[in-house]
Amino acid sequence: MSPRRISVALIALTIIVLGLTACASPPTAAPTTAPAVFITVTDDAGRQVTLKGLPTRIVSLAPSNTEVLYALGLGDRVVGVTEYCDYPPEAKQKPKIGGFANIDLEKVIGLDPDLVLATNIHAGAVVSELQKRGVTVVVVEPKNVDDVLAKIAFVGKLTGKSDNATRLTAQLKNRIDAVTAKVTAAKTKPRVFYEIDKSLYTVGPGSFIDDMITKAGGLNIAADAKGAYTQLSPEAIIAKDPQVILLGDINFGESPESVKARPGWANISAVRNGRVIPIADENVVSRPGPRIVEGLELIARALYPELFQ
Amino acid sequence: MHTTYPTHQHRGLFLLVASFIVLATGAVAVTIGSVAIPFETLWRIIAAKIPGMTIAPTWAPSWETIVFDIRLPRIALAALVGSALATSGATYQGLLRNPLADPYLIGVSAGAALGATTAIVFSFGAISLFAFIGAIGATTLIYALARAGGRTTPTTLILAGVALGAFLSAITWFLMFKGDSAFRTQQIIAWMMGSFSLGSWQDVAVMIPYLGIGWLVLYLNARTLNVLQLGDVQAQQLGVPVERVTMILVASASLITAAAVATSGIIGFVGLIVPHAVRLVWGPDHRFLLPMSALIGAMFLILADTLARTLLSPSELPVGIITAFCGAPFFLYLLRRNRETLI
Repeated sequence: MSPRRISVALIALTIIVLGLTACASPPTAAPTTAPAVFITVTDDAGRQVTLKGLPTRIVSLAPSNTEVLYALGLGDRVVGVTEYCDYPPEAKQKPKIGGFANIDLEKVIGLDPDLVLATNIHAGAVVSELQKRGVTVVVVEPKNVDDVLAKIAFVGKLTGKSDNATRLTAQLKNRIDAVTAKVTAAKTKPRVFYEIDKSLYTVGPGSFIDDMITKAGGLNIAADAKGAYTQLSPEAIIAKDPQVILLGDINFGESPESVKARPGWANISAVRNGRVIPIADENVVSRPGPRIVEGLELIARALYPELFQ
Repeated sequence: MHTTYPTHQHRGLFLLVASFIVLATGAVAVTIGSVAIPFETLWRIIAAKIPGMTIAPTWAPSWETIVFDIRLPRIALAALVGSALATSGATYQGLLRNPLADPYLIGVSAGAALGATTAIVFSFGAISLFAFIGAIGATTLIYALARAGGRTTPTTLILAGVALGAFLSAITWFLMFKGDSAFRTQQIIAWMMGSFSLGSWQDVAVMIPYLGIGWLVLYLNARTLNVLQLGDVQAQQLGVPVERVTMILVASASLITAAAVATSGIIGFVGLIVPHAVRLVWGPDHRFLLPMSALIGAMFLILADTLARTLLSPSELPVGIITAFCGAPFFLYLLRRNRETLI
């Protein structure tokens, strides 16, 4: 037999074998008895999801979801978190299933969850791959501060902790109202620049932080930008002359001093009046979980130091 | 130093042994993963699926899902993509008579990247489909551009590939900028780095027809590829319809590369290094080079993927990083060993 024949035969054999394995691939075993339906919901990716019972093994694919779960008293039901889930500290002890968008499918399935809370980052490839293998996934993606409370109630409904959710959202709503009530009385609203990083990425309309700045009585200088995350040029910032600068990048080496040292920035009102405020824990302003209210209060304090002692 | 390459009789044996090694590599890879499944349980899980065997399940159903719906499809996909890239690389190196040729030289990666970026930025969803269309479209365009007077030469193909590739990359970067979203940019870059992490049987099934057809056509033209090494003019005088063969080879190699790239992103070095390694050890006869590259490519990528999913568990390294790290030094070693034979 010439090598040519052997090779063709091998190739044909490979194709046949692979074809058979592909056809014979076992789909996830369908349950033989009709399960009792606990609840059917529509998640934030527009998917209809049915839970077959009270979730007792929950995997969270985002730090915000982890915080919500713990805040609702579901800490002992959480069986998997991401590497970035650092609040509350107990969450760090849980098995890790991946990073931000990078989820280890095998780890998730190995934990045998009956509920996986994902976010928009995972909607698409990750969610569909998990779904294909029989995992119940719910996408939770709050759009603004008020939506965070709605999502807390949503997760409470999913997990049978509606009472806790109602209590928690009531507390959070009170704190939010306390802030907005004080700042609506303010006569002049300060112009605010929120700096995400040194290359001057900032928050535009539709972003969380923009919503918080507005609620805290500030005027985002990027309010007319064309996207939720946009980059401003130094000239634009100097021209808009923000009265308060919030630094979201002090963990990357920025500080009020480094901002002052930037060419042309020394004359900006915020720099001149010493109102360049570092945000110590960036997570409280960017994670759409219960602590977002802390973030709101933090921003309000930065914008109106005389109103919020 | 004169190396003797294997004779006809031994070649079949080498291919057979290589096939078994590929299967063995796959078998070892199945036992490795971020969830620790004990060895005996693993084989019992697999054996239970053989029709006729009745083994009572003593394992969690999630383990079955892991073995059959996560590890096996990944390994199969890695093997298929590895062999596709290696075969395609060997073909391009032979066709263009250029040792630096890789599967992406004639537009596949630039086109696929543009397709995928378009799909991600505009949230069209079907990233694989767009990547595939982009790859095939770019290759067709480059081939048309390179054609002069009814003929394409390796030089014109490479030049057209580089030029249009640069242009398509520019559009891709612009789209990334317009996408105006750190998350989307991260998604695009993650796709470009190549990964099998979300591989499923669906991806495997999609690849098989393209691979099957492409391989068959390429292999049937292996002898012609040998003749082409003499040069276009000589080959033409020996009766090879050079232009038609060029078109067929480019089409088939691009087809299998596009299928590979569409499912798993742009994984580099496999297509460049594996054919060279095979050539340095076993000689440049394409009748052996093509199938052996396919097998070694499969083996290499299964190993690379296994490393990719275990080195930084539970995070996954993009497999393209592993291939670059492992492939380059290995190739340098082979190069040093066989410097004379290369000339």
